[in-house]
Amino acid sequence: MKLHEVEVAARERFGNHALLRYRWPGRIPEPGQFVMARASAQSLDPFLPRPLFAHDYEDGVMSLLFEVRGRGTALLAEEDARLLVSNPVGQGFDTDSGGLVALVGGGVWVSPLKLLGKSLGRAGIACDTFLEIPATAPQGYAAWISESYPDATLVPTEGTPDPSRAVLDRLGALERYAAIYASGPAEMLDVAKRTAAGMVPAQLALRERMACANGSCYGCAVPVWKSGERAYARACVEGPVFPAEVLAW
Amino acid sequence: MVARPEKTAGVAPDLAVKLCGLSLATPLMPAAGTLAKEALDGAKEVYGAMVPKTVTPGPRAGNPPPRVAEVPSGMVNSIGLQNPGLERFLKDLHVWDVGLPLFVSVAADTVAEFAAMCERLASDTKVTAVELNLSCPNVEHGGLQFCAGPGTVSDVVAACREALPEKPLFAKLTNEGVVANAVAAEGAGADALTLINTIPALVVDARERKVFMRGGLSGPAIKPVALRMVYEVSRVVETPVVGVGGVSSGEDVAEFMLAGATAVQVGAGSFVREPREMLDEFVAYLRENGLRARELTGSI
Repeated sequence: MKLHEVEVAARERFGNHALLRYRWPGRIPEPGQFVMARASAQSLDPFLPRPLFAHDYEDGVMSLLFEVRGRGTALLAEEDARLLVSNPVGQGFDTDSGGLVALVGGGVWVSPLKLLGKSLGRAGIACDTFLEIPATAPQGYAAWISESYPDATLVPTEGTPDPSRAVLDRLGALERYAAIYASGPAEMLDVAKRTAAGMVPAQLALRERMACANGSCYGCAVPVWKSGERAYARACVEGPVFPAEVLAW
Repeated sequence: MVARPEKTAGVAPDLAVKLCGLSLATPLMPAAGTLAKEALDGAKEVYGAMVPKTVTPGPRAGNPPPRVAEVPSGMVNSIGLQNPGLERFLKDLHVWDVGLPLFVSVAADTVAEFAAMCERLASDTKVTAVELNLSCPNVEHGGLQFCAGPGTVSDVVAACREALPEKPLFAKLTNEGVVANAVAAEGAGADALTLINTIPALVVDARERKVFMRGGLSGPAIKPVALRMVYEVSRVVETPVVGVGGVSSGEDVAEFMLAGATAVQVGAGSFVREPREMLDEFVAYLRENGLRARELTGSI
């Protein structure tokens, strides 16, 4: 995997969430694609780059929004870290939906929906955006999200009986949507899949552990239905966005 | 010590090596299971041979996720040999034809299955050589690896040798008992030894108090182990050794060759760095030292 050293334009932190902006002269990302990112060319520990969704792209500046979870992401979020990134890769959202669509996101995983919303807007496709604000979200995050997604309906889950359902329940009658695009915690994606089944096509952006990110290692296996049989697809080249009905979970 | 002729600045160093009678343009090749057909762009300019992912007699779905875990300076994988099976693989074999010798890595449950695969590959003109992945479980011996001991190594290599009389046969071994296994493989007719496969490893999730993964360790963490195995084995066998384990730079390539490898496979290192960059670094090393690639092998 070829990684390119890039110039970091800005870093922001909201508790354990981080936003990186960097100048990117390479291939323009499609909504739902991801990049592999690491903090240093000098050390191979941590060994693997991290797969992070392309959050936004504007005037040659790419941004990544991610959760600081372990050593790799902590290094990426450090102030003076040099940044190495791959080209944007993977199969993103299919935006050829033909009508009003719903964007559904949760927590830090709303990340790919920014680029998706912009792309739909450019294509003249109307969309409603619903973003879950989990009880565990860091301070200032809700304000930042509402600034970054000004047209979104924010759905705090604090105090709701089933947080994984909260944002889906706000969509109302699903039949009015031509498609649902979801990116969020696993429990929320599961609810989105089951809620949309048989009613409206849904596409889910999955986050999987990855190593090679080019289809070589088969490490990012996702259970899917292929020709009526359960099989494993590779999230890096066949995803990370999958039609909900294909997923075998 | 290597004799160091005068530096030949400006002249492209000679990268070619001979392996089992084959002329390879460079000593690099991908380790089985680390280069997908979707990622072959530029492969011909970097590698001396092509090694697709290990294939088994029938299709295998692979293990349920999680399949990869990061560890200090490396990773553990538990993929489970996901592959479409030999016949499907052979139908699609043209996608691997990038103008390089093609080494097909095979694994099976029994000696007879290994031999049957070799027989099938013997008649396919696109296949240059066969590498036996002997780290898979031997169903007839309680699931122990084929390379668990010299007896089974000898049995499987001898059967495959008989089934594949005309093409080079490689035996890929793990680190455990490697010298005895290497001697057994050579005695049973292997033309080359690939050392080493991933090292058996365990990842524990202390927070959840459970085993997170039981798999194979790869990456820079295993390089010193792999170097030691290459060094020791290459001193007791006549057959050439292909070194593999934690290669992630041109200097690593040189180290494996100095330790005794005739050629070098790049595995997990290719996930984090471009093999092209490693080859460029290797070229720079040769140029700086005024050496040809083949002069390195076993020269320390």
